[in-house]
Amino acid sequence: MDDGDGVGAPVIGDKPAIERVATRPAEETHRSSAEWIRKNLFPNPFNSFLTVAFGIFVLVSARGLLNFVFSEERGWDAVRTNLRLIFTHAYPEEQYVRVWVCVGVVVALACLSLGLFASEGEGLRLRKISNALNATAVAIALGVVLREPSVLIGADGETVRDADGVVRQSFAEAMADRWAWWLAAAVLAVVALAVRRVPKRSDGSPAAVPTLDFAIGAMALPVLSTWVYPWGHYAFADGEFIAEPGRTVAMSTKVPWTVMWVLAVASLIVGRWVRAQVDERALSRLRAVVAFTWLVVPFVLYWVVLRDPDLDWDRIFTVDAPLALAFGIGGGAVLWWLTADGRGELGRIGAIALLGFAAFHWVAAFMGWYPMLQKVRISFLLLAVMALLAHNFSGEAAKRRRLVLAWLVITTVFHYFATVMNTPSTVETPTEALIGGFAVTLVVAVFTLMLSFPLGVVLALARTSRLPIFRVMSTAYIEVVRGVPLITILIFFVVILPLFLPANMEISLFASATLGYTLFSAAYLAENVRGGLQSIRRGQYEASDAVGLSTVQRTVFIVLPQSLRASIPPLVGQVIATFKETSLLAIIGVFDILRMANSVIPAQTQFLGIKREGLLFVSLVYWVFSYMLSKQSQRLERRLGVGER
Amino acid sequence: MSKRLVRRFGGLLAVLALLGAACGSDDDEAADEPAATTEAADDPAATDATEVELVQADDDLLDTVMARGELKCGVSGAAVAFSETQPDGSQTGFDADYCRAVAAAIFGDAEAVEFVPLTAAERFTAVQTGAVDVLMRNTTWTQGRDTEVGMDFGPTTYYDGQQLMARASDGFTSGSTVADIDGAIVCTNAGTTTEQNIADAADAAGVSIQLNTFEDFDIVTTNFINGACNIVTTDGSALVGRKANQQPDGEEWVIFPPTPISKEPLGPTYGQNQSRFADVVNWTVYATIIADEKGITSGNVDARLGDGSLDAEAVRLLGGDGELQTAMGLSADAFHSVISQVGNYDEIYSRHLNRVGLSREGSANAGWLDGGLIYAPPAR
Repeated sequence: MDDGDGVGAPVIGDKPAIERVATRPAEETHRSSAEWIRKNLFPNPFNSFLTVAFGIFVLVSARGLLNFVFSEERGWDAVRTNLRLIFTHAYPEEQYVRVWVCVGVVVALACLSLGLFASEGEGLRLRKISNALNATAVAIALGVVLREPSVLIGADGETVRDADGVVRQSFAEAMADRWAWWLAAAVLAVVALAVRRVPKRSDGSPAAVPTLDFAIGAMALPVLSTWVYPWGHYAFADGEFIAEPGRTVAMSTKVPWTVMWVLAVASLIVGRWVRAQVDERALSRLRAVVAFTWLVVPFVLYWVVLRDPDLDWDRIFTVDAPLALAFGIGGGAVLWWLTADGRGELGRIGAIALLGFAAFHWVAAFMGWYPMLQKVRISFLLLAVMALLAHNFSGEAAKRRRLVLAWLVITTVFHYFATVMNTPSTVETPTEALIGGFAVTLVVAVFTLMLSFPLGVVLALARTSRLPIFRVMSTAYIEVVRGVPLITILIFFVVILPLFLPANMEISLFASATLGYTLFSAAYLAENVRGGLQSIRRGQYEASDAVGLSTVQRTVFIVLPQSLRASIPPLVGQVIATFKETSLLAIIGVFDILRMANSVIPAQTQFLGIKREGLLFVSLVYWVFSYMLSKQSQRLERRLGVGER
Repeated sequence: MSKRLVRRFGGLLAVLALLGAACGSDDDEAADEPAATTEAADDPAATDATEVELVQADDDLLDTVMARGELKCGVSGAAVAFSETQPDGSQTGFDADYCRAVAAAIFGDAEAVEFVPLTAAERFTAVQTGAVDVLMRNTTWTQGRDTEVGMDFGPTTYYDGQQLMARASDGFTSGSTVADIDGAIVCTNAGTTTEQNIADAADAAGVSIQLNTFEDFDIVTTNFINGACNIVTTDGSALVGRKANQQPDGEEWVIFPPTPISKEPLGPTYGQNQSRFADVVNWTVYATIIADEKGITSGNVDARLGDGSLDAEAVRLLGGDGELQTAMGLSADAFHSVISQVGNYDEIYSRHLNRVGLSREGSANAGWLDGGLIYAPPAR
């Protein structure tokens, strides 16, 4: 619905408002709709023909879709009844508050971040809102007219048939029958008109509302609707099929959704308040804190909130905590020693020896020579990596302290999660998987992205390295992975990987699938990042050398920020692709949202064979999330000014 | 200068590459740990769960299951009336109830089951790797699976067979045979033996048919309803379910021929050479059959044990004189738990299969006294 305003230059967040107004086409204000239509839709006979032809095509398709969606034969009850299955599979009802806590944490964190960092921009112009409302009203009216009349239902509840098949209402009856839709269209049109009447601001700029406030305010509508309309219903209680009108999904979700909405508004306000209190420097500190929280939150939500580990304190005090303490202190001491002044070659040899020691444990694990706690192996490896990094931190006490502190944080976080992951869950589900449906789609997508991003950046750096060994290895990896279809990789990881593992190690379907996705996605991300790396001019390298930056400093502070910024569009494309590719989980036997719609729901006796409705719903869910990602990336691009310089 | 640069840059890359490797392994360890932990859930204090030798290849499966405290039962999760996933995530159906029956026999608790939904492709691998203890996943007992694939089969719980379904308005009756389908468009789902069976049957009857295959039977049925197929064919149990639920008003579908064109005996399936576990599964099935034979149901089992109206065999089976069960490694009243918590064969059958239109009467699934094939060896 291009209203003719979009022809101006892209809106740039950081330019002053006056300038933006000035660059807008001057004739815009006094162009009537009739003129606009003549100019854009019917400028000459051929274009008029195209407009009419495609218009008819769109209307016919819309009619088909409407007839399908609103047909009396559609089994939407299958979707409405199975909403829980579709979103979380068998997660127990009495523990459902955990799911809401997860949603709440994400909502609160998102709104807090928005309140803290989102730039206000020029806001959403009321004219645009009015146009959107008008367009919706027209679409509803068109839809009402387009959809074929409903079939008649006899007194016995069956559809009325005659020799030609089902009997339908007359057109006039159908139009009268759909009065509620007409009313809705009329209300929207009136609201649109009212919004358009709002006068310009005193400085002459068009009336507008802040985009964020408007979006969150608009979300109140669906939330409020749960108090009025029974979206979805439970057909099951205690294993018995029931269709109680009172026990609807809306009834049981109206309070949680309202809480979510209030939480969103509150976090937004808190975020803005904090922002008003602090200066730039503190804000950038806060940004780091929030970014770190975002990184940790998925792990906490999945392993702590959803899984609710049944912690065995005896074991924690006798094994886990002492182990973490030993690694923290011992590792800290090693790192302190390695970074001491004049350690030189000795330090490097020590680090490499540590690496060999750590690697040996892994070889031993695969050979099955001696048992050892997995987390000890990983801890040694992490320590070895830190030791290799140590020479960058030698010298001043402050730098050394920072390295040791980083090690303590890494040890704590790692040992905490290793313990939590190692503890059995108290959440009892009837099947082996904790979650399924859309939750598993999200979890796999989030973990895949979190893990493949660093791997992709490393691969990209390696591929542009001047050292042939890294270049060749990385190139070979990327080309091999990109040359193999994703489903092949997934099947490889799910079927063949378990055979390569040592006898006493097993890997869950979920983990091996995530691993497969990660390795696949990393290869593509690496190529995207490499594109960004190549856009960095030679002068940037020379300049950073000239000011005496080390390689690490140059890569971290000069090269990566610029190249990642340049590759945002393809990176977001990859994120969306990864999110949608999780639907392949259905093929390898994970009960994700697609599998629910495609095989589980059609196999329920009361909904036998009802598949198209579920698939349509699933596509809608995928679309909503992909569209949100896409919108966010556009915002990010605007904020960082990609394509501007 | 540049040499040093190269070295340092290389060093950085090595470190980053290792970090990447660590991340990768971190992931697989991290996520596989819970899976391993569930195995040792009963004994978390022993040693670190990821490291324990959890299942030794020569371990006795029955002991392993008992130590775990839960039966891992492979089901379909998407098979009408046999294993359905309900909107609240629970499993219901004929197969699901046999999982519960085995759990009731082993633990005395029918709910001590962890259902593992499996696709047709992964079911045998799941048994071989120990991901499930037993398959109750409408698996046809065939020679190849019994020998080459390395499975063992328990007593057949449901005798299925491939049949055809057509419209009565096209002149078919339930007495029609494959010889009557000359020239018809026959549809079925791809990648199963149904395709081969119908082609063979048509060849044998000397008729020519056009065989169209689709990805799954939902799509086949949709095509049948909108007229793209004259006839659909798959296992009789599935056809009856489709007829009961999807036959449009004003149409009549018929299923034929009376004698199926293939034999599809379905029953529990487990790995080879686990005799003790196999005995438990088999005798659980037999116990439900014997109880059905003697009219012992979940409702009357306690009353009948009390009033002494049971014969000696039934008393032995239900634990009155339970040496037979204790010799198997079960508690004496193991099968009493099965009958009281899950029910006898007829109860399990009627609960799930009657409502999709499958009835025992006159079919191979009737008891042997009624001319069917459901038969159990004596409990003595």
